Amino acid sequence: MVLVITRLMEYAIEISGLTKKFGDFVAVDRLDLRVKVGEIFGFLGPNGAGKTTTIRMMCGLMRQTKGTIKIYGYSIPEERSELIKITGYMAQRFSLYEDLSVYENMEFFGKLYGLNGKNLENRIIELLEFLDLKDVKNRLAGRLSGGMKQRLALGVALIHRPKLLVLDEPTAGVDPPIRRAFWEYLRGLNKEGTTILVTTHYMDEAENCDRIGLMNRGRLIAEGTPRELKKMVFGGDIVEIVLQGYVQEGALNETASLKELTYRDGDTVLRLVLKDASKELPALLRRLDDIGLRVLSAEPINVTLEEVFIELVTGRVEKAAV
Amino acid sequence: MRLMAVVVKELIQLRRDPRSLVMIAMIPLIVMLLFGVGYGGGMGKISIAVVNLDKGSLSWTVLDSIMKTPSVYVKAYANSIEEGRELVKEGIVSAAVVIPEGFTEELMRGASTQVLVIVDESITTISSTIRNAMLAVTYKFQQELVRSVQGSSVELIYSSVYGPKVTNLEAFTPLVIGIVLQLVPTSLISIAICKEKERGTFEQLIMSPISRFDIIFGKLLAFFIATIADMLITLMVAVWIFDVSMRGPLIDAMVVSTLFLLGSLGLGMLISVLSRNQLQANQAAIFIFIPALLFSGALMPIDMLSPSARILANLTPMYYFVSAFRDIMIKGFGLWQITWQLFALSVYMMLMMVSAPLVLRLRVD
Repeated sequence: MVLVITRLMEYAIEISGLTKKFGDFVAVDRLDLRVKVGEIFGFLGPNGAGKTTTIRMMCGLMRQTKGTIKIYGYSIPEERSELIKITGYMAQRFSLYEDLSVYENMEFFGKLYGLNGKNLENRIIELLEFLDLKDVKNRLAGRLSGGMKQRLALGVALIHRPKLLVLDEPTAGVDPPIRRAFWEYLRGLNKEGTTILVTTHYMDEAENCDRIGLMNRGRLIAEGTPRELKKMVFGGDIVEIVLQGYVQEGALNETASLKELTYRDGDTVLRLVLKDASKELPALLRRLDDIGLRVLSAEPINVTLEEVFIELVTGRVEKAAV
Repeated sequence: MRLMAVVVKELIQLRRDPRSLVMIAMIPLIVMLLFGVGYGGGMGKISIAVVNLDKGSLSWTVLDSIMKTPSVYVKAYANSIEEGRELVKEGIVSAAVVIPEGFTEELMRGASTQVLVIVDESITTISSTIRNAMLAVTYKFQQELVRSVQGSSVELIYSSVYGPKVTNLEAFTPLVIGIVLQLVPTSLISIAICKEKERGTFEQLIMSPISRFDIIFGKLLAFFIATIADMLITLMVAVWIFDVSMRGPLIDAMVVSTLFLLGSLGLGMLISVLSRNQLQANQAAIFIFIPALLFSGALMPIDMLSPSARILANLTPMYYFVSAFRDIMIKGFGLWQITWQLFALSVYMMLMMVSAPLVLRLRVD
């Protein structure tokens, strides 16, 4: 009897000390990153932060200057041929053949993955249905709308049922409603067990991710769930409390957690940072009541990741300037 | 399997690209027709070879006067009577003019001397034109000579050779076919890889389990299927429309053409792998074509070139093609009689086929 021991893979992606230099320019600087199997990991950062370079090195499309990359246990670039079998890739630019039809593009890439005959045909039909491209299957890819092109590219990336999807700015230059629809597809795939690594510079999209890595100037400056990141940056949850009337800062003894005090329509608006709003907020309200202030409303504020990012980047800049 | 997927994809793309289709179908026709019109109808100049064995200066006066004759042009210089005769026999020139050793000396002594003219008699209009031209040259020379040296005279003697009856058009046919078989496939395929890189499709392509060999040979095979039409078009136009007579076996001419065509495709592929963009690739394809034309041996016999240029010519695949094709077409040779050219063309083809996949890197940096 043969005993097969399989180690359950915990990490889909393990990167350490990854560096890429172009001459003197350091595009990626000692990057460490781990992405768990089954996660949607969002890679965030402005253009030129090094996201695409990182992804290209991960896929063996570019050689790293230094550092190790393991994808599902395979070392890159040495075991690139194994990586390719389990990875679906969508490049930043639309990179399918514009002079081939939707169906021909999928058929061509399907054949490259060794699919053929009825198997290939069924898989293409399945994907055309899933991505709502059935009606345009004979249209040349160059004549598709932006949203359709993007879905076709996703379809080609999915043709061989990859375990890992690597998407480089899949929604760049596409209208918001189409972007939202695209994320629906990604969530659907993720539910079926596909690990997804996606880069974007749209911060609102990142809320869809299980975890996020923020990249700036070749460095990973923060990593965590969207909630963790917000807490980390602002030191907790942000709560907005509206007090009746005109209240001066000195009248409060909450200055430690006070972030901002403004006036709106004759009332006072406080923004406070609480370590854990659900536990601390009731006590805080009681204290305000005790000193005779009337609370009109109190609710947690949903900080956008954009604010988080700005906070982080400007924070860094200030530190660097000192 | 993957290779076939690439072949099918390339053929679909070619079919949808009007520019490539025009190139495949129209360029051979245009080139053939231009040469056909240019060399088919009128006589044009008659090519001759010169063998000057004299060490004195008077021979140059004769040669100078030959060169100034509008109906002939000196295409080759040979070193011996045998060589001159060979050039006429092979149909490379229509006549060879031999100026004997001691030509100047004899004339200065007041003696008479002879100039030998080896003429191809197979086309009478050509041989009579040459006779007339040579008569005029010697008559003029004699007139000037008697003024300075008394009693000396120049006599013309003729030696008849029956050459392969090569018309001007026939003389150029191997080169024209060579031009088509290098220019069209090389420029057509030269954008094959860099187009994919420029459009970004290369990145997607190499994220699939495709090998370098699948990419290169898939594309080569597709373009070979497409450009084989060019070989057939040019041969057909030559044989049926221009009435060029193919003295050797047509199938042998096709074998040589196929070898050269494959070499051209491989060369274009190598250019494509090395070029950064389509423009660069196109320029390289044209640039490489120029020395191929110069050193083909059809515009100027290789023996006339300087030693260093001769080395270059010997490294030019077009030279071997033109010479092989000429041997089959004009001399009626078969493949076993042109083994050296066949060998050179095979080496060229193999080198080109092998180098592109070796140079291609499946990366985007």
